[in-house]
Amino acid sequence: MSPLGWIFLTLSMLFVWGLTGWCFYKVLTAEAEIEKPPDLLGG
Amino acid sequence: MSQQSSHEQRWGTRVGVILAVAGSAVGLGNFLRFPGNAAANGGGAFMIPYFAALLLVGIPIGWAEWAMGRYGGRKGFHSSPSILGVFGKGATGRYLGVLGVLIPLAVSFYYTYIEAWCLGYFWEFATGGIGIDTATPITEQTARAAQVYSDMTGRAANGVVSAGTLETLVFWVLAFAVNIWLVFKGISKGIEKFVSYAMPAMAVCALIVLVRVLTLGTPNPAIPEQNVVSGLGYMWNPDFSALGNAQTWLAAAGQIFFSLSVGFGVIINYASYLRKKDDVVLSGLTASATNELFEVGFGGLITVTAAFVFLGAANMIGAVQGGTFGLGFTTLPVVFAHMGAFGNFIGAVFFFMLFLAAITSSISMYQPSLAFFQESLGWSRKAATTLMVSICIAGSFLVMYFSKGGLFWSTIDDWVGTFLIFVLAMVQIILFSWVFGIDKGMEEAHQGALIEIPHFYRFIMKYVTPTYLLVIFVFFCKNNLPAWVQSVVDEPLKQGAVALIVATTVLLVVCTRLGEKRWRAAGLDVDGREPAAD
Repeated sequence: MSPLGWIFLTLSMLFVWGLTGWCFYKVLTAEAEIEKPPDLLGG
Repeated sequence: MSQQSSHEQRWGTRVGVILAVAGSAVGLGNFLRFPGNAAANGGGAFMIPYFAALLLVGIPIGWAEWAMGRYGGRKGFHSSPSILGVFGKGATGRYLGVLGVLIPLAVSFYYTYIEAWCLGYFWEFATGGIGIDTATPITEQTARAAQVYSDMTGRAANGVVSAGTLETLVFWVLAFAVNIWLVFKGISKGIEKFVSYAMPAMAVCALIVLVRVLTLGTPNPAIPEQNVVSGLGYMWNPDFSALGNAQTWLAAAGQIFFSLSVGFGVIINYASYLRKKDDVVLSGLTASATNELFEVGFGGLITVTAAFVFLGAANMIGAVQGGTFGLGFTTLPVVFAHMGAFGNFIGAVFFFMLFLAAITSSISMYQPSLAFFQESLGWSRKAATTLMVSICIAGSFLVMYFSKGGLFWSTIDDWVGTFLIFVLAMVQIILFSWVFGIDKGMEEAHQGALIEIPHFYRFIMKYVTPTYLLVIFVFFCKNNLPAWVQSVVDEPLKQGAVALIVATTVLLVVCTRLGEKRWRAAGLDVDGREPAAD
């Protein structure tokens, strides 16, 4: 495995894992906001 | 729920619809087609045109489909013909929209057949393997795997049972019954509930196989160059000269395009069950990202690496050129046989993972036609399911009866599962960006959005995506159509497959015509003249 191979592998993995992780974080935090009772929203 | 009309159906949670769309996209191609494509087209360098196509074609068309589906749902429509009639402002869009029902329906004719192979291979590995003797030369081992594949698929002659085994038919009945049962139970209680278990289970299976592959080390000390790191190198070492070859860009765009299931008619149907304030931007991006995780994050590390470690560079060229099914059903069983005590377990987990990938895709293929028959014919869910099941059984039995050489089903795959997907995707992006209008379309997409689409994507979706798609399509047609047409002219089995496609299309066009009359009589905005209600 060449150094460039490692770079392409690492960058590709970081991109797909990072993007998926960020997306699900946003989805799940938004879902949690919706499920909160109204009096808890905005303190 | 069984008597619930499609108009009353809704997704239960945001995660549920995301997993359903992602499940539809993640299929055999993620684990088998992608790594073979990448290894054969520049390795790591392949990822440059691949990610470019993701950002310029895959994600934008996905956003357009999500937004169109939700907008159509608010007008009371849940199928591609009615929704594209709204976006196309008339009959042209409506009849082109028939493709959005034809594609998933016709692909389902052979997809559950392939699903049955996955189940069959899972069963074989779970009950002791497929009888490969690792002490014999590698050519004999591959020949044994090829024989099992031929028996499982009935490739030797027509008639999957007489030319192969009864097992395939039994597994097809099982897979088909599960599919129909889940779809009949409805959007929330059937499809959504199933994918909420199946997708995590698929990820766990992929992780188990991945860990095993990455810890293989150097299985044969006598051949030290066949190790995991070299296997990763075979897949990921970049060959930048490939970037100067149009074929690399075509393969990358094609991989993204088919992998994400855009232009398939599924997303537009699934999104029609969303409410006006339900997000589509983040949901569309998340579904695409999940597909990429399975494709690059798992598929990019497992298949080629494992095959290289046991077969070596000399045998990899043949394995990669064997295509999706050659790699998956002929090469990998040999690899699992070489894994020793845990080989059958890993093989069983791998094929169960493929089965889950296949079934989460196939359930999405039935819902669009079910919704279409309900709304075009005004039938109950039960009656529409009966019609859909009858058509699917007829189509699937033709596929399984004319099994010789896989010619019948691969013809449907070429013309419907490949060619028509390009056509529908182009129709969708043009209707969204040009006929409906990119500004209006973006405004619609941002209703209830949890993130904002960058402003420059207006330019991309209006100009870059259609142009990119058109260029790929022209190259694709130039490379494939002459040979495809000639093979249909020469081969009666392929003519039969084309006849089946034509007959199905005629039926769907007639139903669309009947539906149009019904929708007009009901006072629905068939031609998209009015703004959508809240």
